[in-house]
Amino acid sequence: MSREIFAIADTCFLIDWSRYRRRDTLFRVFRVVFVPENVLAEVRSESTIAWISRGLAEDRLSLYTPTRDELEEARMLVEESRLQPRIPSIDLPEALCLVVGRRRGYVVLTENRGALLAPLMLSEYRGVRVWRALEIILEAARIGALDVDCGDPESIFREYSSDTLHIFPRRALESAVEELGRICRERRRGS
Amino acid sequence: MTAPGSSAQDKLVLASEDEARELRRKMADWGFIESQPPRIREALKYYIEKGDLYVASRIAGVTVEEFNELRIRARIPNVA
Repeated sequence: MSREIFAIADTCFLIDWSRYRRRDTLFRVFRVVFVPENVLAEVRSESTIAWISRGLAEDRLSLYTPTRDELEEARMLVEESRLQPRIPSIDLPEALCLVVGRRRGYVVLTENRGALLAPLMLSEYRGVRVWRALEIILEAARIGALDVDCGDPESIFREYSSDTLHIFPRRALESAVEELGRICRERRRGS
Repeated sequence: MTAPGSSAQDKLVLASEDEARELRRKMADWGFIESQPPRIREALKYYIEKGDLYVASRIAGVTVEEFNELRIRARIPNVA
């Protein structure tokens, strides 16, 4: 079982993910997940505050304080997204995560469509790995951090959708379920 | 900064944007949305159009988590 080391999560991702019944899976996929400081101001419920506080106390979450230079690049990225009509708009919170992903090699966790497309549409961000809940769940299944029901591999995603009222795009979901099927076949052959 | 995407890629992006917007529109509880105070109502409509939780929460004047709860009460899916 191998784990990614660092990720950086934007506010919207973390708040969506925090409703998931298996939210601690995040810490089995990544050793440390950085959260920009503004995330704390965006959380109100006791359950989410408790989860984040516990994560910080156990060093599984860590606050990320951006440098002036990173913020400047993030602002430039926001401007660029506004000038390119074919890129859905990117705002400062997710732009900052993309900048950190590019500079430090962290996996960027976001559900923002502009941020998800940035590596495809902007050459400077081509190497940045941007993951949604879908990719995290798939990775968790791959490394054995989540159990897959091989008779119904899609159930692993339905559970997340039900907890968070989240719908995965059809093609991405089909491809992820196919990948789970492949993992199941490999495990059957190995056992 | 350069944008390397092809026009085929652009079409795919636009198609997936349209698909996501359509799902949000179709699944939303419009009765709930129309019964909300103006700021919340307009923020929920903005979210249906754009799918941007952060900006929608700013329009509503609430935190991202509070807006996410409103989104769920309005039965608007997060499509991503």
